[in-house]
This record gives sequence, C-alpha cells and structure tokens, in this order.
Amino acid sequence: MKNTTNWFRPAAAATSAVVLGLSLAACSSGGSEASNRPENEVHVLVYGDAGNTVEQAMVDQFNETSDVKVVLDTIPGAEYQSKLQTIIDTDSAPDIFFNWGGGSITDYVEADLLMPLDDFIAEDPQLKDAFLPSVFDAAVVDGKAYGIPMRGTQPVMLFSNEEVLASAGIDGAPETWDDLLADVEKLKAAGVTPIALGGADEWPTLMWVEYVYDRVAGPELFEAALGGDPSVWESDESREALGMLKDLVDTGAFGNNYQSVKFTDGGSASLLSSGQAGFELMGSWAYSTHRDAAPEFAANSLGYNEFPTVDGGKGDPANLVGNTNNFYSVLANTRYPDTVRDFLKLMYSDEFVQQQVGIGNLPTTTNTGDFLDQATNPDYAKYQLSLVENAPSFQLSWDQAYPPSATPAIHGAMADFFSGRIDEDGFIAAMQGL
Amino acid sequence: MTTLNPPRSASPEGSTANRPARGGREHKTRPGFLWTLPATVFFSLFAVVPLIAVVLLSFSSWRGIGDPKFVGLENWQELAGDSVMIQSLWLSLLFIVLGVLTQTPISILLGVWAAGEQRNRAVLSAIYFVPLLLSSAAISVLWRALLDPNFGIPGQLSWLFGDGNLFGNQSTAIAVIIFVGMWQFTPFHTLIYQGAAKSVPAVLYQAAEVDGAGRVRAFFSITLPQMRNSIITSVILMVVGGLTTFETVLILTDGGPGTATTITAFYMYEQAFQRFDFGVGAAVALVLVVVATAISLIMVKVSGYDKMRSTMEGL
Repeated sequence: MKNTTNWFRPAAAATSAVVLGLSLAACSSGGSEASNRPENEVHVLVYGDAGNTVEQAMVDQFNETSDVKVVLDTIPGAEYQSKLQTIIDTDSAPDIFFNWGGGSITDYVEADLLMPLDDFIAEDPQLKDAFLPSVFDAAVVDGKAYGIPMRGTQPVMLFSNEEVLASAGIDGAPETWDDLLADVEKLKAAGVTPIALGGADEWPTLMWVEYVYDRVAGPELFEAALGGDPSVWESDESREALGMLKDLVDTGAFGNNYQSVKFTDGGSASLLSSGQAGFELMGSWAYSTHRDAAPEFAANSLGYNEFPTVDGGKGDPANLVGNTNNFYSVLANTRYPDTVRDFLKLMYSDEFVQQQVGIGNLPTTTNTGDFLDQATNPDYAKYQLSLVENAPSFQLSWDQAYPPSATPAIHGAMADFFSGRIDEDGFIAAMQGL
Repeated sequence: MTTLNPPRSASPEGSTANRPARGGREHKTRPGFLWTLPATVFFSLFAVVPLIAVVLLSFSSWRGIGDPKFVGLENWQELAGDSVMIQSLWLSLLFIVLGVLTQTPISILLGVWAAGEQRNRAVLSAIYFVPLLLSSAAISVLWRALLDPNFGIPGQLSWLFGDGNLFGNQSTAIAVIIFVGMWQFTPFHTLIYQGAAKSVPAVLYQAAEVDGAGRVRAFFSITLPQMRNSIITSVILMVVGGLTTFETVLILTDGGPGTATTITAFYMYEQAFQRFDFGVGAAVALVLVVVATAISLIMVKVSGYDKMRSTMEGL
C-alpha cells in the first residue's frame, strides 16, 4: 500500500493536469482568424449523392490548369444542413458550399459569413446573365446576389399511372380542380388509392398545400407572409385554400393510411408504380426514382402533368412550386477569391450543362435547351424546361424559403391540420406564430 | 451462505493494531481518497463541466453561429408556455410506465424459465437474445419496413390491422414504439432475471415441496421475493432507458404524427439540431436532467434500494 501511494500520487496528479490542460486547449481553439485556412486549397462542400460524379469531374478538370487546387468534400443526404451549420463558423468551413438559396442561407448572410457576389458579376456578367432570371433571384438576399446556380431545377409535377387512369375510365390528366375531384371519385370506385402521398415524411404533404395556396391566392400571399405580414394567413383566400385541402383529405383522396406512408423508403412511389394508386404529386426527381425502382413503369406508363387550375383563383396556372435550383455560395473570408470566381464560371460552361443533362439533372442556364437531346429522356427534360421557362412565378418550397428553424413548426401544423387534430384556425395560428 | 465477512473485531489486524482506538483502525483499512481521483477527474470533465455549460447555454440564445448571447429567462419563459413541452413530459412518463408494464412480466417469466433445465432451453435462449445484438437504429428501420401499411404485415393481415395506419394516429404510434422497445430490451432483462432465478438456493424449493407447495405457489412465495433486488435493478434500468429513448422515435415516427409522439428527449433534439435553437434545446435538456433525478430519487426511496437488504438474511 505504501509503495503504491508513492508513485500513485504524482502519477494521478500528472494525469489530471494533462487531461485538464488538453480540455482547456480544446476550449480555446475556436474563434481564430482566417489565416488558419489551408494554403493553396479551396474547399467545395456539396450534398453527397449520385450527382457528385459530375462535380468531381469538373474539379479534376479545373485543377489541371490551376495552381490553387480545388478539393471536393461531400456530406451525405439528410445530415447536410445540420453538419454545415455546425462547421460554417469555424476554420473548417468550406470556401464554396451547396445550398437551396432562400432561407437556407439568410442566417449566414445576417451573420456576415457570406460574400456578396456582385463584384464577381461586375467582372464577368455571364455569372448572372447565363442563368434564367427567375431561378437566379432565389439566392438574392437584400438585393445582393449570394449564390450562383448549380446542378438543376426541380419543379413539382403531378405524376400519374396512365394504366390505372385508363382502367378507371379516366381520359387524360385533370386540367381543373373539379376534374381532379371527379377523377378521385372514379379511382375510388375502381378500388385503388386515388392519390399516393408520403404523409409520414411531411414534406410531400407540403407540396399540396403550396400548390393549392398558389392557385387560389397567387404567390403574393406567401411572399407577404415570408416578408413579415402574418395577417395574410387569416385572409379569405387562405381559408378557401384550407377548405379545399380539407375537402380533398376528407373525401379519401389520399386513402386512410397516408400518414404511415413514406416517400423516402419508396413507399408512395411503389404505390404508384405497382398500380395501387392513380396520382402522386412529387418533385421532378420522381422520374429517376421510378427509373431506378420500376424501369418498366417509368418507360411505359408514367404520366407527368402540371398541377390543375382552380376556377376563379388568382394564381397563374403556369406557376410552379418546388426547388428552384441549387446554388453555390462563397464564404466571405475565403483565402483565394480569384480561384473561387474562376471555378464558379464553370457552372455555365457547355461541358457542365452537358454532363448534368447526361445524369438527368436540368441546369437552368439559358442555353440548356441546346443539349436536351442528349438527356436520358429528352421528352421529359424538354417538358420540364418549358415549364420552368414559362412559369411567371417559381415558389421555393416553404420549408426552404423560411430559415431551418421554422421547418418543424410548418410540418407539424400541416400534419395536424390534415389529420384533423387542429382546424383552420389552429393552422392559421401556427403559421402566424412562425 | 456462510461467506459473510467475519466481524471486524475478529480480524487479525484488529489484534495487532498499534492504536487501539476504533477510529484509527478504520482509517487505516479504508481506501485513500486518491483512489477516487481518476473517476472524479473524468466525471468532472465529461459530466459536471458539460452540465455547467448546458446551464449557461439555457440562458442564452445561440444558433450555432457566432457567440451565444445572454437572454436571461427568455428560453425558460418560452418553454413554460409551450404545450408541446408539457405534452412531451407526459408522453415520456407514459412511455416509461408502459415500457415497465410490458417488459417486466415477460422478462420475469422468460428469465425464470430460462434458468431451468428444460430440453432445448439453451437453443431457445440464444434465439431470444438476438434482438439484443442489433442496434436500435437497425431494429427501428426493420420494424418500420415490416409495419409499412401497404407493403408490410398490415397490408397482408387487414382483418387484424384494419387500414394499417399504425404510424398515423397517436395511440397506435405509441403502441408500436412500446412494442419495438419491448422486442429489443426484453432479452436484456430476461438475462438479469435468469441470473437472479439461478441464484435462488435450491434448498428453499425443497423445503416448499415438503410443505406441499405447487409450482405456482413456489414462484410467488419464493422466486419473486428472492428476486426483489434484481427486479428493482431491472426497473431502474427500464426507467432510465425510457427517459432516453430517442433513436426509436426518430426513425419510427419522427415525433409524429404531428407532435403526437414527441417525447422530451426527441424534443430536445428537434429544438437544438433541427431548429438550431441551442438555448431552448439546453433548457429542455435541463428539464430532462431534473425529471430524471427526481424519478430516480423517488424510486430509490420507495423501493428501499438504498438499503439493499440481502435476500439471504436468515439462511
């Protein structure tokens, strides 16, 4: 015992001193200056998925001629936004990062973390002019451009199983809201779920809310709410839209178990492709989802259409909702702004557009149309592009137009309204409380 | 049964002690304070320091960018008027109670059975323990797929599951989470009860048999009372597990439908890592700490766990 104590006391003291010292050092390492950024490297952070092959190819090509090397970092799917938020105010922050424009970057703009790109655009006007204006504007905050479009646009469309529609005696896609209600009745009579809906994921439900609000009240209502005028949620148009949605749910358009169905595990897509549902409202990526999971269905009986018009509604029938585009934004304290600018120029190069079209994305450069014959499904690509080009308004998804902090509240209020746990007033109060 | 420590006075050290005073002798045999130092250091670093940081954070506004801003009681006032917060506490308590009520009887029966000598017992026991080897995330994904309303079990057995909307309304969503928890953790508690049942002295059963007690009587009069400490241990573990249930809820229901299965641990995650409101998230975490401490104190008092009376007394 005595011997043990002799060595034990100093050893324990030393151990605790080291541990405490390390932890103090770890605490004080934050908040240093940009000089800690790596030399001769520009880091580009993107959402990790199949699209990364094109991005890596562009990076490799760029590095052949550049002294400052570009490094592509990826974060897989669902964790992207929270991981980004965790590192963006540290030395590990990327120089350039992928985002959805709108609310996904406003917090960073307010914290002065992002570089306005207006100087770049003044030097090279193509950084703005080469893109469709309605798309480019989605990353403009307080009149300054904070993002250059990258990847592609993803409008929400009404997909259908044409075989199911035909066997239920439905001739073509519904043009008006009343057509849709009539089709729902026919599909119910035919014994299938009229509309597949991944209600457990919540964001697919939001697509219905966004379109009905747009058709009834026009995009102005949501823009006003987003701009800080919550009174619009109490308007007659708002109540009319909610009433229409409630009718649609109550009539059984989505079946009885839509709240247990997910899109993300292939549930609602399978309902459509296996002939158990007639319609599904989904983003343009639904085509590649079906092509992977049910290639025969995607090739033969997948129909795609615009959202129906609403009689007497204020919204233009050509308006779109969805993901306007993805954007590259730039950190204000980047060490190599010239390299960053040169890299961003690739986003409107013919080669980039060509490669994106090749993997099924739809870039929003003004010359995209020239390359669509090389797409996997040229008809589908051309149809999508015409929708985007002709849309007077392209509303960014509500949960991305608001900052991430609002997403759980929007989703919760909507899910509760659809299931009847809250009524119109409850929904209105929840949206006013954002 | 006869391995109780010999009384202190009988120890050889007692007779050879330099100082006859009782206090002096005890001082010598007690382990020195220094032995607690490593544990104290690590406990401070990984429990006390973070806890202090969480307290400070709960009085500030921080979105993960820049420095936290002191806002006083703002986060707490927000929580006090938040119906979801109150609901989440009730839900957490409901989850604990339902978890204990479903897991305890089954684990006791299985554990007592597994402690026996039946044929194939070892094989069946091994099968029971399989769920214990899987991660919670894997188990949740598995059951989410099995219970898919259209392509899973409910789609095939509509006479039993109706429209299959298990995740779509509150009572069935809670039932699914409780069921999956039971499926996952019963093997663990069975293991505890198996050990406890095995350590019941056979002489008690022999005596009971002589007195004419049947198997049922023996179970209630001997096995259960002898397992008292194990039951308390097992229930405390269930309570702690119930309070920290998180990944099952995240994957199975994502707190939904709406907020119908948003328990406190999930609500903390939602506030901090989905809304990026770390101040409110920290406040929720503190509420959880207080509730958990209160529950465990009450349990220790009520159950007599602090005394840990031996079931071997009188043998």
